[in-house]
Amino acid sequence: MGIKDKLKTGVQRNLNQKYIRRLLDIIAKKPVLFAYGSTFSSLSDKYLNIFTIKSLRNAYTDNNHPVGYGSLFLPYEMFHALGITPFLPEVMAGFTAGLGLATQTLKEASSNWYSQDLCTFHRSASGAVELDVFPKPDFVITTNLACDAAQKSFYIHSVKYNIEKNFYLIDVPYEYSKESILYLTGQIKNICMDISSKSGIKLATSKFKEVISLSNEFRKWAIKVNNLRKTLTNYPPYYNGLNFILPFHGLAGTREAVILYNQMYKELKKYLDKEEKEKSGKNKSLKRILWLHLKPYYKNEIFNILERENCRVVFEEINYIYWPELDPERPFESLAKKMLSHFLAGRIDNRINVILKAARDYKIDGAILFSHWGCRQSNGGARIIKDSLNKLNIPTLVLDGDCVDQNNSSQGQVKTRLQGFVEILNS
Amino acid sequence: MDILKNKINDISAFFEKTLFSTDKRPLVGWFCTYTPEELIVAGGFIPVRIFGRKKIIKSESYFPINFCPYIKSSWESLLSGADNLKAVIFTNSCDGMRRFFDTANKYLKDTPSYLLDVPHLRGVDSIDFFANNLNNMKRFIENLNGKKISNKEIKNAIILINKKRKLLKKYSQISTKLPELISISSYFKVMELSMISAPEIFTDDLERYIKFIREADTENMTNLQPNYENTPGIMIIGNFITEEKLWGMLSTMNLKLASDDLCISSRYFEKQIELGDDSDFLNLTAERYLNKPQCMRMADLGLKLKEIENNIIKNNIEGVIFISLKFCDTMLYSFPLLKQKLNDLGIPALYLEIEYNNFSEGQLKTRVQAFLEML
Repeated sequence: MGIKDKLKTGVQRNLNQKYIRRLLDIIAKKPVLFAYGSTFSSLSDKYLNIFTIKSLRNAYTDNNHPVGYGSLFLPYEMFHALGITPFLPEVMAGFTAGLGLATQTLKEASSNWYSQDLCTFHRSASGAVELDVFPKPDFVITTNLACDAAQKSFYIHSVKYNIEKNFYLIDVPYEYSKESILYLTGQIKNICMDISSKSGIKLATSKFKEVISLSNEFRKWAIKVNNLRKTLTNYPPYYNGLNFILPFHGLAGTREAVILYNQMYKELKKYLDKEEKEKSGKNKSLKRILWLHLKPYYKNEIFNILERENCRVVFEEINYIYWPELDPERPFESLAKKMLSHFLAGRIDNRINVILKAARDYKIDGAILFSHWGCRQSNGGARIIKDSLNKLNIPTLVLDGDCVDQNNSSQGQVKTRLQGFVEILNS
Repeated sequence: MDILKNKINDISAFFEKTLFSTDKRPLVGWFCTYTPEELIVAGGFIPVRIFGRKKIIKSESYFPINFCPYIKSSWESLLSGADNLKAVIFTNSCDGMRRFFDTANKYLKDTPSYLLDVPHLRGVDSIDFFANNLNNMKRFIENLNGKKISNKEIKNAIILINKKRKLLKKYSQISTKLPELISISSYFKVMELSMISAPEIFTDDLERYIKFIREADTENMTNLQPNYENTPGIMIIGNFITEEKLWGMLSTMNLKLASDDLCISSRYFEKQIELGDDSDFLNLTAERYLNKPQCMRMADLGLKLKEIENNIIKNNIEGVIFISLKFCDTMLYSFPLLKQKLNDLGIPALYLEIEYNNFSEGQLKTRVQAFLEML
């Protein structure tokens, strides 16, 4: 049994905070971390996992910094400027799927009156909170950007930990406008000030500037990675662009994110250089796929099937850099603009524009929208997305499934639908 | 007694003018109680809440299976053009509604649609921001008939809708007081009429109706009260629950609807727009809508629970029936905390999830009966 399997079995058998803390303490020790790191096939994958472990260890064991629960799409630069250790329950719900814990967490959520019709990312996270598996937060920050679920489930977390007064919702307006920027800037500033005053951590301008600069640096490398991928067809083994949710969001504004994306760029560049050198080796019949929404985080065959059918996901909408460069002199306003620029905010046209741009930039042959159970914001727009791509003669597969609960997804059906879709692409 | 009861519950007779209105003003549709009808009226239109009521057929190809059935039914209605609307006002109430607006915007070319951005927070900044959004909505309405809306027109519309809200509240209080006389079905029928009719005509009819009931009450009061002394006072908490068969079923059961938290009832009519010296009517409107009894979509779920707790105490509630349309995230997420709160208060709760326009009476009746027996 390899180190990864041992970890998985260990957590499955001892699903409690104490064990996880002990485990993280052991893994985070240099020799173990080095051994753990060497199990990954590429440096970027190694960095991704090591940074994740470090971030989790900080959340579970570091008592010097407050822990802040944060939902996806928050400007995590504010966490890093304030010295708050971010903990992302939705991302951790993905981990519960990967570690085979979701059955337990979802069961716990159901017994606490979470309806089975709700999104499993939030249900699984809520189950984990109820089981007391997650570290205790000092602050809970969330947003209504993209979906309703986070603001509700996160509020319940704050009640569970008896810190309702430290619950903050960043209310992102529907339209990008002067008034919206002003309204949102005020909220972000007030939240930062309030947290600063409650935690006693001074919000230093120099620190904020440094974080914003690092965020810009990460953005620069992420754009370079995305540009490389416009022509790249061969990837390092096990590379999957859907694995980088934590660094893309939670580590924005840290040196780790810069290192990771810089490394990813170097690796992919090597592959591209090799492809360009060996032009004959270029896979001309390869079908280029655009992936929409997220993927299942438990063991599944989707990407193996695609690989076998000579299809490759060449871009994922979640990796699109949607925000302009941030202004270190105007951090709050910059972060407000970042949130308002998100393609999942406001009209579906914002998302469609990104999808159509990606379709052109990445010369895609087909798109797969993973229709995660209970995700109203994404699935509710599936028809419009499909019709918009059809206008460009790009077939779209709306693949029903569940990112977290493998019992809510039929592998056989997924396989049949993928194969049918590939037939359309090849026809 | 039965003759009087039958007469009072003959809503069609009392609201004949409302039902057979000859008002020819064009209609503007709306969905959510955060939509200020005042601006629609001020623009010269009749605000009409869209109830759907259509069997879901074509809608299935636009939205996924696990999607709000009210939205699907309403989309069916819009696609059929049955409501003959000049325009439709959406709000960003929830994920479903946002995607509904996108769908209407894309596929309903002949009917202009507008999405009103409603903040999730309360407070001065949110009110200012919302007032600005109301100004944008006002412009949309002005463009519909190419006519500017004056301050005076807004003020008059506020006075009219305030009057409607005041009368509805009165009617609600009377219904709670006289469950023997006014059936639950009748109560919700009147509520529905209030949202789909010309407000001037409806308020006239309602005023007459209330007067009639009051007079009947004065004559029969002593005979009526004792029957309901041992009947449990129930509070219904839910979203857009408009199922006539459900109200009919509850009307025949041994319960007293003592309070509610529904967007087709108290969340619609509670709280007036306070007209004082301030002539910034949009700001006053924004203030009323953001501070009215809140929908579960608002950020502060704690405040919502407090509102519910206050109503439970004030109205001596003995049991809560929580009814949600399926796939309504904001409602469903409120239940874990609500259940906890009700447990703390020692109030039993019945949890029901229902479809829209597709009511399975037998099963629900058994569950409600068992719940009432337990009380």
